[in-house]
Amino acid sequence: MSLLELKSIVVRYGEIEAVEGISLIVDEGEVVTLLGSNGAGKSTTLRAISGLEKPISGDILFEGQSIVGLKPEEIVRRGIAQVPEGRRIFPGLSVRENIMLGASNRKGLKTSAIRREADEMFDLFPDIRRFADALGWTLSGGQQQMVAVARGLMAKPRILLLDEPSLGLAPVIVQAVFAIIAEIRRRGTTVLLVEQNARMGLSVADRGYVLETGKLVLSGTPTQLWSNEEIRAAYLGGRTAAAHA
Amino acid sequence: MDLALQLLFTGIGIGSVYALVALGFVLIFRATNVVNFAQGEFSMLAAFMMVVFTLKLGLPYWLAFIMALVGMAAVGAVFNLAVYYPLRHRTYLPVIISTIGASIFLANGMLALHGPEPEVLEGWFETPGFLVGPVYVDSQYLLIIGVTAILVVLQYWFFEHTLLGKKLQATSQDKEMAALLGIPVAAMIMVTFVYSAVIGGIAGILVAPVLFVSIGMGAAIALKAFAATIIGGFGDVTGAIIGGLALGVIETFGAAYISVPYKDGFAFLVLIAFLIFRPRGIFGERVAEKA
Repeated sequence: MSLLELKSIVVRYGEIEAVEGISLIVDEGEVVTLLGSNGAGKSTTLRAISGLEKPISGDILFEGQSIVGLKPEEIVRRGIAQVPEGRRIFPGLSVRENIMLGASNRKGLKTSAIRREADEMFDLFPDIRRFADALGWTLSGGQQQMVAVARGLMAKPRILLLDEPSLGLAPVIVQAVFAIIAEIRRRGTTVLLVEQNARMGLSVADRGYVLETGKLVLSGTPTQLWSNEEIRAAYLGGRTAAAHA
Repeated sequence: MDLALQLLFTGIGIGSVYALVALGFVLIFRATNVVNFAQGEFSMLAAFMMVVFTLKLGLPYWLAFIMALVGMAAVGAVFNLAVYYPLRHRTYLPVIISTIGASIFLANGMLALHGPEPEVLEGWFETPGFLVGPVYVDSQYLLIIGVTAILVVLQYWFFEHTLLGKKLQATSQDKEMAALLGIPVAAMIMVTFVYSAVIGGIAGILVAPVLFVSIGMGAAIALKAFAATIIGGFGDVTGAIIGGLALGVIETFGAAYISVPYKDGFAFLVLIAFLIFRPRGIFGERVAEKA
């Protein structure tokens, strides 16, 4: 049994089908990346998993049980945490408070214990330690991304959904963010990573899916995806990347 | 100078009431992005509850006060479920219309139940007041200022130093993200409505001995409190308190030095000046500015 399984889900915004029958699986301990260009339906897929959008057909199974129709609060309590696109740091709360609230899905924790765990997060993200008491909005995009990932990890998720963590960040910061994803993977947390930056996505993933206008067009290991010349040109920007290299 | 001190005391007293009602506006606005136009009716309802409990049922003042607060908590909960919750996925407009409808319903419901005659509610203290130097300290105003100060401190402590306070803040800043973290958003909004109804009720009970208890008292207070929130900066807690106090002081001084009949006019003159020259208020929208 896979940890997470999507069975031909269809999600619609009004009349537009944003996701047209996507099926995919994520196994325990894997890092799986979902690639595709803008508007391909990647974020919508993650929103559906987290319960922010309801699929009009298909099913989403977590540990073999359907989670379609559950509230977002309930889904994260079951162990699916999401770090959404745009980071969504609470602007008026401090960095430490933002991270502490990541544990809201876990019951019966003392505030002091949550605070201690939040402070331990700074070992994984040393760059944001000195901003612990700064308000969320004062941080740069890269720092906010660190806070968002730390907040996601505070949920102690069975699976972490990451939506475009590289979006809008300088290349050197992207490197740092992906180093952290590699570290999360080393610690054994299952990750479903949505990326537009295929090169980065495949560099940390065990497997990848390629999405185009709401449909899955390809899946495989990073090596398999890279070796497909047509796919490289069309979806992964392989040629352009090679030309720049 | 003595007169000025006297006016300052009275102004801060009445301003505290505006500040409490304004706090209710701000808290609900931050949680739902909508102005609750029935906020003033919470004050009116609580004042009438006090009249019924003390005058009609003859209960001791403290017991009546506690019962009125419990009653207001229930009003807040029912208000949320009936007026806001069914429309929570709609835009702000249907919700605003819903709160206006609730305001009309509550005022006219009370009119039908009770009739138009105003009631007089006794103050908490036997002694009406005492002199401190040149200033006559009205005990009811002193109570209003004291209770407001305590509530503001408690609220500050609650929002800044408890995890529940942080969850409420998170909910008001980004509901979807709060839900993604497992914060029970519907429960947080319920807490906000209950609390706002209770502090609106406290404001009504405190001000009732100063004014008459009447059907229209809610609208009169709410209008001033609404002006206070705009002056302070909509959505800002500190702004609501400063705006409320400032408005109370301005209208008291205006009435004493310029004209009593135009007392209410001064508040709105200040409001208009703010709308023209500084529409986001004293403390408004600091967070949004950086984006």
